[in-house]
Amino acid sequence: MADTESADDVLKAEFPPLVQIERTRGDFIQFLVQKELLPAVVQYLHTHPRWHSRLALLWAVDDRPMREGASLHYLFALDNARQWVVLSVELEGADRLFPSITPHLHAAQWYEREIRDMFGLIPIGHPDLRRLVRHEQWPKGTHPLQKRFPWNKVIGRQQGEYSFLHIEGEGVFEVPVGPIHAGIIEPGHFRFSVAGEPIMQLELRHFWKHRGVEKLFEQRILTDAVPLAERVSGDTTVGHSLAYCQAVETLTGLEVPRRGRFLRSLFLELERLHNHLGDVGAICNDTAYSLPHAHCGRLKEQVMQLNDRLSGSRFLRGVNRVGGVTVDLTPDCMTEIPKELGRLDEDFSELESIIAANSSLIDRLETTGVLTARTARDHAVVGVVGRASGLDYDLRRDRPFAAYGELAVKVATYHYGDVRARMRVRVDEIHESIRLIKRLCATMPAGPIAAEPGLDSKGPKTPKAGEWALSAVEGWRGEILYMVMAGENETIHRCKVRDPSFVNWPAIQWAVVGNIIPDFPLINKSFNLSYAGNDL
Amino acid sequence: MFRIIKKSLKTGVVTGRYPQSAALQESIDPAAAEKAKPFRQSLVIREVDTGSCNACEMEMNALMNPVYDAERFGIRIAASPRHADALVVTGPVTVNMERALKDAYKQTPDPKIVIALGDCAITCGLFKGSYAVTGPVDRHVPVDVRIPGCPPRPAEILKALTELCGKHDRRQAAGS
Ligand code: SF4
Repeated sequence: MADTESADDVLKAEFPPLVQIERTRGDFIQFLVQKELLPAVVQYLHTHPRWHSRLALLWAVDDRPMREGASLHYLFALDNARQWVVLSVELEGADRLFPSITPHLHAAQWYEREIRDMFGLIPIGHPDLRRLVRHEQWPKGTHPLQKRFPWNKVIGRQQGEYSFLHIEGEGVFEVPVGPIHAGIIEPGHFRFSVAGEPIMQLELRHFWKHRGVEKLFEQRILTDAVPLAERVSGDTTVGHSLAYCQAVETLTGLEVPRRGRFLRSLFLELERLHNHLGDVGAICNDTAYSLPHAHCGRLKEQVMQLNDRLSGSRFLRGVNRVGGVTVDLTPDCMTEIPKELGRLDEDFSELESIIAANSSLIDRLETTGVLTARTARDHAVVGVVGRASGLDYDLRRDRPFAAYGELAVKVATYHYGDVRARMRVRVDEIHESIRLIKRLCATMPAGPIAAEPGLDSKGPKTPKAGEWALSAVEGWRGEILYMVMAGENETIHRCKVRDPSFVNWPAIQWAVVGNIIPDFPLINKSFNLSYAGNDL
Repeated sequence: MFRIIKKSLKTGVVTGRYPQSAALQESIDPAAAEKAKPFRQSLVIREVDTGSCNACEMEMNALMNPVYDAERFGIRIAASPRHADALVVTGPVTVNMERALKDAYKQTPDPKIVIALGDCAITCGLFKGSYAVTGPVDRHVPVDVRIPGCPPRPAEILKALTELCGKHDRRQAAGS
């Protein structure tokens, strides 16, 4: 930590017109910022070296019917997320314009385009106002997250074509890929501009899978939206449901019992384990080295079958609920799990030495798809990808949740930012997850696994309309953020979901530059981002 | 080299080491089985994701791992719909994917089978009614086989596919 001084005093001294909003729940500070002042404050936070700040989330809310108008909120994570600052801007009545911060802060790019699509608010000064979520066939004026837009509206179609960025010149040609890809993967469109072999530019066109998840959240009540959170990105079932539950628990003042928190960490690590195992194999497979792929597929399957035995679901669906978990583990499990994972650890270590001894594989992975620390920081990249590029963030250590406050998590970081570094982060995290699970099993406290809402009169309360809470979870891909705002009678007024994929996708456009197209699948696999979690 | 051989010997054969699928499934519609007759020896699948949560994809991928090893039944994945005998469709068909699904269907040579995989593809699941969803799949293309579940387990998918091709998982019956 660079400073003992807290951010609120400094910000108030720097910008006297800022109004601090008193908050009773959630450990972050919030300021109401005048629209005109916003770019200056953002630039200060972004460039001043003392804060090491990162734009973690930017979201809009249609405040109707509580207030006539919309509002925008900018979450900055200072000092590796140890401090959170939220800047809020309120737009009055029919005001649709807000100043874009993208010219100062690259990371805001997609967020602002998303807000324009979903709310019809216009970021003034944004360098790229093409549509993002709404593809061209959506009629003009369709802004699904406005309160007056019915959730089940049948939208019409119009003609239209997306204009890609073109590079012109002799020998330059474009290669379109997608939305349907060759393997069993999700849909997305990639447009490469190449001259000869090397990629000069890659442009992503995503949001094919946009299902309207955030609007669907608004049709549910607070305690009943966990299944939806689990299906934001299926491979991150536990991560998303945990982040959602934590937000609601903060909002309702529900305290999760210690055993519940330990079990949550355990399930989260199991999820990390099976995904990372799959990824290590898949990275090898994309260099046509299929032996580790087969072994990793087997190990991953072993973990998923373990999940199934523990919870009745291979993806650990349904383990989280608001207030705790639904699945308790018997003492037998507590001895069985470490034993089984101990064997798996050994098995994987043998495989690791086989992989490390293969020089042609290492040659393919090294210096391929380099994401520099600078680019990663500019895009506010998180998770495995960030850690492979030297960004030493891990919420399990920096902003502990569930049981991580009581565990010392070793964070794997590498500096090369290439495919190999991303693979090594995963390999290290596999061993670390196994260690953590063993530790969790050994120290599992007794007691209830969930808080019972409504039993205790001084306990949970119904949040007032307009109250909101933030929550963050280090899922296997990286930082998952949820913002849940309550409406009348325990309804959800707004739920902002941010999967790590949303911030990491744009960075891939820079990591591929200078590489050849045949290496793209490999680079993409080493990022392994979710399309569903990105498109919502 | 020695290390690799040792590892393979130590691991042994893992194919078939999975729990039996619960027999709750509806069996294959006779009309679909009739349609699948030409594909008894080999069934080449193209998977189309129209907005799934990606868990269904992950289970499809699991079919190809050494434990389930769908290739032993002649089930393979093709890179292009033009090489496919069957389309496996997941997801509730989003507004943005509707056209891509129809295109992929058109590009698949006849005779073809369409398999709706997962509750989303069959009923739109939790996403039913959303402004961004126009499914389920059978609103857009004719569906022959439905494999319910959220997501269905690989053993269940494999059972449905092998039944469709009129084959039995002998190793599974003997193993585990
Ligand atoms: S059926 Fe379930 S698992 Fe499959 S895509 Fe839909 S939500 Fe995901």
